[in-house]
Amino acid sequence: MAPVLMWLILVLCLVISIGKYLLGLVLRLAHPSTKIRKDYSLEPTVSVLMPCYNEGKTVYETIESISRSNYPSHKFEVIAQDDCSADDSYEWMLKAQRDFPGVRIRVGRNEENCGKARTVCNALVHSRAEIIISIDSDCIFHPEAIRELTASFSEPKVGSVGGRVGVRNPNESVITAIQTIVYYAAFELYKIPENWTRSVCCISGCLFAIRRELLLEIEPAIRARHWFGVPVNQGEDRFLTHQTLLRGYGTYINNDALCWTTVPTTLPVLFKQQLRWRRSIVRDFFFTLRSLPQHVFKLHPNTVLTLVLTPLGAIVALLVVVTSLISDPMAWAGPMPMITALAIAAVLSWWIKKRSVRETIAHPLAFGAYIAWAIASSLFLTPLALCTMDSADWGTRVKTV
Amino acid sequence: MATETLEPEVKPAKKAAAAQPLHYRFILTTYRIFAIAALYAVLLGVIAYAFVMGFYAVNSSWAAPVILTATDEKSLDFREKLITSQQSIEDLKVDAAKMEAGLKEMQAHRGALLALEPQIQRAIDAERKHDTADLPQLSSLDRQKLADDARTQKLLAQLEDMEANIEKDLAAGLITKADAASQLAALNQTATGYTDSRIAEVLLTDTELDKTPVGGTIVDALEKQAELRSEAAQLDVAIEVAEKELTEDNRQIARLHDAIVTAKLSPYYLIATGKNLLYFAFVPYDNQASATPGSPIYDCYLNMILCRKVGVVGQRFAGEEQATHPIFKTQIRGFLIQMELDRAQAEAAKSRTVFLGRKPLLF
Repeated sequence: MAPVLMWLILVLCLVISIGKYLLGLVLRLAHPSTKIRKDYSLEPTVSVLMPCYNEGKTVYETIESISRSNYPSHKFEVIAQDDCSADDSYEWMLKAQRDFPGVRIRVGRNEENCGKARTVCNALVHSRAEIIISIDSDCIFHPEAIRELTASFSEPKVGSVGGRVGVRNPNESVITAIQTIVYYAAFELYKIPENWTRSVCCISGCLFAIRRELLLEIEPAIRARHWFGVPVNQGEDRFLTHQTLLRGYGTYINNDALCWTTVPTTLPVLFKQQLRWRRSIVRDFFFTLRSLPQHVFKLHPNTVLTLVLTPLGAIVALLVVVTSLISDPMAWAGPMPMITALAIAAVLSWWIKKRSVRETIAHPLAFGAYIAWAIASSLFLTPLALCTMDSADWGTRVKTV
Repeated sequence: MATETLEPEVKPAKKAAAAQPLHYRFILTTYRIFAIAALYAVLLGVIAYAFVMGFYAVNSSWAAPVILTATDEKSLDFREKLITSQQSIEDLKVDAAKMEAGLKEMQAHRGALLALEPQIQRAIDAERKHDTADLPQLSSLDRQKLADDARTQKLLAQLEDMEANIEKDLAAGLITKADAASQLAALNQTATGYTDSRIAEVLLTDTELDKTPVGGTIVDALEKQAELRSEAAQLDVAIEVAEKELTEDNRQIARLHDAIVTAKLSPYYLIATGKNLLYFAFVPYDNQASATPGSPIYDCYLNMILCRKVGVVGQRFAGEEQATHPIFKTQIRGFLIQMELDRAQAEAAKSRTVFLGRKPLLF
């Protein structure tokens, strides 16, 4: 009975995932209601909150790019909040403040290191703007990003809007090539059906816009997040999105609001990042289960299925992989997984080259390596995430000075 | 724009930790212990998996014990085929015996026929000799007879006149009716005699023809001789066919016999007919060098460590077998060996793998 149930869940997850990708493709090409009605005349006041920890000079480049936004300078400000970086990030922030006087840049520093989520909250205290945009301090923003995000708030029931995150370094290594395809497929296909129902389950923290009153309402919950007493500083983007949906607002990703992030170039760093993300997914899953009736009644079925089945699928996939390896240890060695991956890679690479020249992958066949990563990911990430839920380690931003 | 440096805004998360309730601490400690144990278990599992995969990829002394019983499908099938083969041998033997008897009969008949041949030839020769002697005499007599018949015919031509004269004499009263009847009967007898003489002449001519080389008697004799020779030739063909069939039957019997002898060396025969408990193991071809009769067999814990000797390799069976790799679960080819297990170590027959020749990790 248990194996049958396991396979059923896995098949359901796969069907929904593949269905979402295919539906995303169809909607993207053919359904205008997928795209939000944008009103560029709104121009609300905007605070760009930029938490920072050990980013060094990158933070300067980030502020530089955001300061070049095509948005009335008197209507937006940058609040850069350093989370007690051990490097010279704070100095770079101050330098940016001096170098870009055309924009109101305010620089602050936490008294002690308290993580990204609380740093955002600390920055929020100084903001009075109508729309809060939280950004990552290692991203480069398109000049139209703020305008695109604010224009998307024309629908009153939309509470949070995200941007499209691209990869700055697609051809730096095989690892970055893999991530480029994954990012592209996620934003351009997977999230499109969620966009259609205004119920995106996770807006990336790289570029996250939210109504001020909504964020103020959620802020206490962000500060109070803990795992049996251990403060939770990770996955604030997923948490914010989830809370937005639970409060009856819609969420949307505007793929015209572009930003570019530098993705991990080595496997250990990628592993740490993915582990952090997986922890957030698992945490979100537990939260969903804890209040499942509320979710079922309040949220769109698309959202509930994504919130429940995505992490459940990962756990079940682990069990399936383990049982498959026990019954047939060489199952992974067959040619089909590699052929399938290569075929998908070839199609997506061609598509990316056609639609987003900046992210063109020089070696599309590198996607074959994703198989190894997928197996490792299925085998290690979920159990590791389940066993390290109390970890506050960010993983990818720790630098020794 | 004026530059601003913000006042530190700190709501330390530490406070939450400091105010951690006791039950949270307990849950967290339990969770951490469980998590560490689980992670080490996963780690050990992965290392063990990798090690086992690597070990069986390079090891060349393992064999997989196979438990065969008389009720196994393969054993039953084997037994059925064996019985069918034995039945075929018996049927072929009966056929061969019948064929051999028939062959002897045909050979005897042929001998008898061939023995008649000289007698018939002698009879033909004697007949020919006799005919050669009689033919001139008969020809001479025939000619003489023809001359006599010619003269008789001339006399008969006068008989009508004589009959007329008798009628006249009777009418004239010169002779009585009785005399006239007597004279007419005499004339009729003469005519009948002539007819008989003609018949005799025809018969003589026929007899004369019989005495010639194409006469009926000699032709009959030659026909008999031809029939005899034909029958002998037919017997020759039948004997040859029968001999070939007999040879083929005997060859088939020999082949089946060999097959049965070979089959009797199979583990399935041993298990189907044997009364003692026998143990077998599948050896892949890659490991055949280790499967020498008399080599020690080791059974190990966790399929590779803390090994102990459980018996020795018995006979090696020739037939190819296909089996599933006990670890990789792929199809592999190899053969079976008999394991002579120590009585106390019979449980080794149920192990997933055993090792031949030496302990795999030397302990």
